[in-house]
Amino acid sequence: MIPGLLLLSITLTFTLMSYGDAAAQNAPILSGPLAKLDIKPAQIEGRGTPKGTLSIAMHFALDPGWLDPLEHSYAITQMMYDYLVHDAMVKPMPYGYVTYGLAEHAELANDFRRAAFRLRPGLKFHDGQPLTTADVKWTYENFKGAYAKLFHDKLEHIQLVDDRTIVFSFKEPFIDFMDLYNGGVGGIGWIVPGRYYEKVGRDGFKAKPIGAGPYKLVSQQAGVQMVFEAYEDYWRRTPATKTIVVKGIRDAAARMAGLQTGELDLAFGMTGKLLSRLMSDRGLRWDPNFTGPWWLMFPGYNEQGSPFRDKRVRQAVSLAVNRQFLVKQETQGISKPWGNWISPENRDALQGQDAPVPEYNLEKAKQLMAQAGVPDGFEVEYLPFPPYFDMGERILTDLRAIGIRGKLQSLEGPAFRAKIGQGRKGVPGNRTIVQNIDPRAGGSKANIAVYAVCGSTASFICEPPIETLWAKHQASLDPAERERLVKSIQRILLDEYYFVPIYWNSFVPGIGPRVLPEGKAVSKYWDTLNAPYPWPWEVWEVRADR
Amino acid sequence: MKRYVLVRALYSVVTLWLLVTIIFGLVRLTGDPVAMKAEAGADPAYVAQLRQSWGLDRPLYWQYLGFVGRLLRADFGHSFEKSLPVRDIYFERLPNSLKLGFAAFLISLALGVPFGMLSALKVNSVWDNAGKAVALLGLSMPGFFVGLVLIIVFGIELGWLPVLGKGSSAFVWSAPSTWAMFWFRDWGHLAMPAFALGWYFSGAMLRITRSGMLDVLGSDYIKLVRLKGVPEPMVVAKHALKNSLIPVLTFAGLNLLIMVNVAVVIEVIFNWPGVGQLLYDALSNRDFPMVQGVVLMSGLMIVLLNFTIDVLYGYVDPRIRLSR
Repeated sequence: MIPGLLLLSITLTFTLMSYGDAAAQNAPILSGPLAKLDIKPAQIEGRGTPKGTLSIAMHFALDPGWLDPLEHSYAITQMMYDYLVHDAMVKPMPYGYVTYGLAEHAELANDFRRAAFRLRPGLKFHDGQPLTTADVKWTYENFKGAYAKLFHDKLEHIQLVDDRTIVFSFKEPFIDFMDLYNGGVGGIGWIVPGRYYEKVGRDGFKAKPIGAGPYKLVSQQAGVQMVFEAYEDYWRRTPATKTIVVKGIRDAAARMAGLQTGELDLAFGMTGKLLSRLMSDRGLRWDPNFTGPWWLMFPGYNEQGSPFRDKRVRQAVSLAVNRQFLVKQETQGISKPWGNWISPENRDALQGQDAPVPEYNLEKAKQLMAQAGVPDGFEVEYLPFPPYFDMGERILTDLRAIGIRGKLQSLEGPAFRAKIGQGRKGVPGNRTIVQNIDPRAGGSKANIAVYAVCGSTASFICEPPIETLWAKHQASLDPAERERLVKSIQRILLDEYYFVPIYWNSFVPGIGPRVLPEGKAVSKYWDTLNAPYPWPWEVWEVRADR
Repeated sequence: MKRYVLVRALYSVVTLWLLVTIIFGLVRLTGDPVAMKAEAGADPAYVAQLRQSWGLDRPLYWQYLGFVGRLLRADFGHSFEKSLPVRDIYFERLPNSLKLGFAAFLISLALGVPFGMLSALKVNSVWDNAGKAVALLGLSMPGFFVGLVLIIVFGIELGWLPVLGKGSSAFVWSAPSTWAMFWFRDWGHLAMPAFALGWYFSGAMLRITRSGMLDVLGSDYIKLVRLKGVPEPMVVAKHALKNSLIPVLTFAGLNLLIMVNVAVVIEVIFNWPGVGQLLYDALSNRDFPMVQGVVLMSGLMIVLLNFTIDVLYGYVDPRIRLSR
């Protein structure tokens, strides 16, 4: 009887304690009404012993600057290193685009003027120093990367309630705060140890970064190789792989050879002619890894003398592209013909019945060209996203069927980006077709804000109806209304053929035999939404034979 | 002689200054690195901050003065793309290039000189024709082709040799214990890129050795040596080879510099982390400080080699120093 009572009281005590913990974890920080947030809880997994080495090949030279979130660029590539060395307050994970990371609780005031976070207890950086709200504040205040001006301009002050609780107050409603603070969009949410950074300086941090992520940098050769080792005290779980080696290998054939000889376990960018070799190699695996859709745009379409000024010509271009054939030729049939220029994984993107795949109809295309007064077609410059020149040639071949004859300009990657970054100004002339892709995170509004509104530096579209809707969107504090407006803008862009979607691209990686699990189950690593790379890295498993 | 050396030294300094100025100007004609780094839609404030942090917001003459001033302190600036000091990155890569360059150099000598000698000694024979064929193949089969064939055969099909990188050995300037080990480890990684690189140069080496040997073997003093009854192996080894190797070695020295500094294609194919690949990446990304640094270091090596050769020529042959 007595032992039974004792057991019951112990059980009750533990139940109440854990309830108390959960209650404390979710205890409100802000007073007043709160905005509804859809943040998924982090899945705390088991502890174990990391094993084996995972060798990864990137398709470009490695930049030590990627190890420093304070100077985070707009490039999504940098997040691959964020996910290795650092950790964010909230970030995309396989189980939710916004998932709790370092923070275990977040709030946003209904008027979007205050945001609050509570950190998990016991967080530590790789050097054993505690991660506190002082580091969160320091990171915010010293951040110099993408969207830095916006964050600094909006901020009124930061209040450190205690070591685990922080409140941001803004001068005006900052409705996009949670979107931009998400580790999947920018760098400011990836927390850097302030004291260490100040001690070693900018260069010192890039050479030997310290973070709170699942892996510690052990060594690096700038541009060539970075070696990471499991941080066994990582809060979410023990990383499954002991060592991750990331190599910068620009040559696709070399990456393929590395996979075939077993020197590599994972290689990105296995596109084009190598794809069939990868798919036919029984020892290797691949994942479709859909990123963003390809689309065509017509810089200067709204200027006098441009044949693309006529909507019928733009529509004819869309009708002349044989998407199904292109997908077969370019990606062995893996990619999907698509009806929108924004990835369906990006929030508020039109898809399915709302954005059906455009038809392929040469007869109709020719009729439209004739109706538009250009039955014999015309000459254009064609600017493809590098290095997808074969794809550009194939599209040009399709367009030749309706008389549009093109000269393909093959620019290298940085030069192309420099042109596109200037928008319409970067692509002079009004008879140019640009073939672009941009798997941008941050919701469909992020894509629209860059390419389809007058005020953007990379603007290719400047149309009054879109501007009106965009102004309403920017002024609105109602998420549902904003979603409707973003969808309406997409509707205009597609209906008017300002942008012509081609297909949803698969950015295929090659996977070696040592990566676990065996077979197609390996695709689970690509479950995180809107991520061209397979993060998080702590879940990757390999055979321990190396 | 002293004056001669001083004049040559002055020429070298002027050459280097011209190189500094030309590379500074040329690299700036290739485009705006800030526009290339910033993604579409980047905030103008971010772009401006990037431009400022790279010093590209200053007038050109100010950038030039800053560049020259830093050079005088042996500082090449910070890499735009790799965010670290150019000097650190360059000297991290240089030992790898030296290792590859020296190995390829030895292969080109080992293939070119003996075959060239054999060709010259057995002129118009089967051996000579075989030598000519080897030279032709060496010059007409580019290194990247040889490299890819080697990768397929020895890397993928036979699985004998690794195809990527230089292995785990590293030359760490601050750790002398690594210096010796670096040269003698990871030969498996070195074999294919060194052969692919050395192969091309061996063809040229073979031809030069052959023609040098033929010239020397037809000369009067060789005839005299033979008339004196000196055994043929001695004629070849002691008298002919020694003299015919002078142009070969001059040519080999320049080849070595080329192999060390511009083995871009071979380095890319085998992912060999040398200065050639560094230059290739830097050019692609308009990384001005890195391009300037790598080109200047290569230029410095060539100028120093030429200066040394000039001084040695002047020392060996007084007619040269008097005529210049």
